[in-house]
Amino acid sequence: MKRKKIIKAGIIVAIIGVVIAGAVGFYLFNMPHRDVQNADADYAFTSTQIVNEYLADMDAANTKYLAVDGDSKILEIEGIVSKISENFNNQQVVLLKGASDKAGVSATFTEETNLNASNLKIGELVTVKGVIRSGATFDEDLELYENVILEKSNVVIK
Amino acid sequence: MKKLSLLIAIVAFIVTSSAYGQKLVSSKSQIKFFSTTPAENIEANNYATVSTLDKETGAVIFSIPMQSFEFEKALMQKHYNSDKFLNTKEFPKAKLKGKITNINEIDFTKDGSYNANVEGDLTLKGVTKLISEKGTVVVKGNKVDVKSKFDLILADYGISFVKGKPASNIAKSVEVTVQVEY
Repeated sequence: MKRKKIIKAGIIVAIIGVVIAGAVGFYLFNMPHRDVQNADADYAFTSTQIVNEYLADMDAANTKYLAVDGDSKILEIEGIVSKISENFNNQQVVLLKGASDKAGVSATFTEETNLNASNLKIGELVTVKGVIRSGATFDEDLELYENVILEKSNVVIK
Repeated sequence: MKKLSLLIAIVAFIVTSSAYGQKLVSSKSQIKFFSTTPAENIEANNYATVSTLDKETGAVIFSIPMQSFEFEKALMQKHYNSDKFLNTKEFPKAKLKGKITNINEIDFTKDGSYNANVEGDLTLKGVTKLISEKGTVVVKGNKVDVKSKFDLILADYGISFVKGKPASNIAKSVEVTVQVEY
């Protein structure tokens, strides 16, 4: 009799365990992407500042800004709009770059924020928020300065 | 007469400047990873790659920001970035340093579709391997489009899974699709 009770209790605990594990698994599997625009920015810079920090010491900057799981730091960058283009994913790409800087900050917008990018004008001073994907560097194979890349960007209204 | 000399000057300027512009820089790019197993299909896209193509030497360079690969599922993206998989914090960029070996067969002054053989060093997660793949170069006016599709063996770059979900859900060989507009 006692043994039966123990087995019964054991089965109930096991079922509860499986249900919880399943729920957690289901949640993790369907976990939404981080909402960059509704999260607070970790740092605020001008495009010149972040470019110069990367050109001075790329490894140190990568350690500071990139996250192991890819949810890297969210930056707010102020700069002059020097180019607006579109990528193969129909997203607007805004380049913020000072006239005398070697590289700039290339900010990719999203389906939801595209319109705010296309309303910008070349030469306009704006602030853009997005997640950093990679830093500025001189690539000797490309023979070019690569820009800081921000994604999931939007214009910040101050 | 004055108009004519001005016209000659403009034409001369255009001709000389285009002769020097041998190195094309990408304006748009897409790199897609596709992995298929009986368990599931996994796809990731990258639109932030920078590439150059030298029309004279055939040198072709790709610099790929690894954290720019976007997955449908957030958890997959986290796994992909983590130090167990691509370790993108440690290795934020992948690079292809290659050459179109039959560049002489591609006439950049004539519209058309040309077959290209690309050979070069691909560095992924700090591991460099020689790859040799086929692609297509499409010339249309001032635009040059390069496309290629090839398979990549993950274990070649030290990315391997022996047990658990990754081993059953991620293909040993992933299909890579590349498209660049210069």
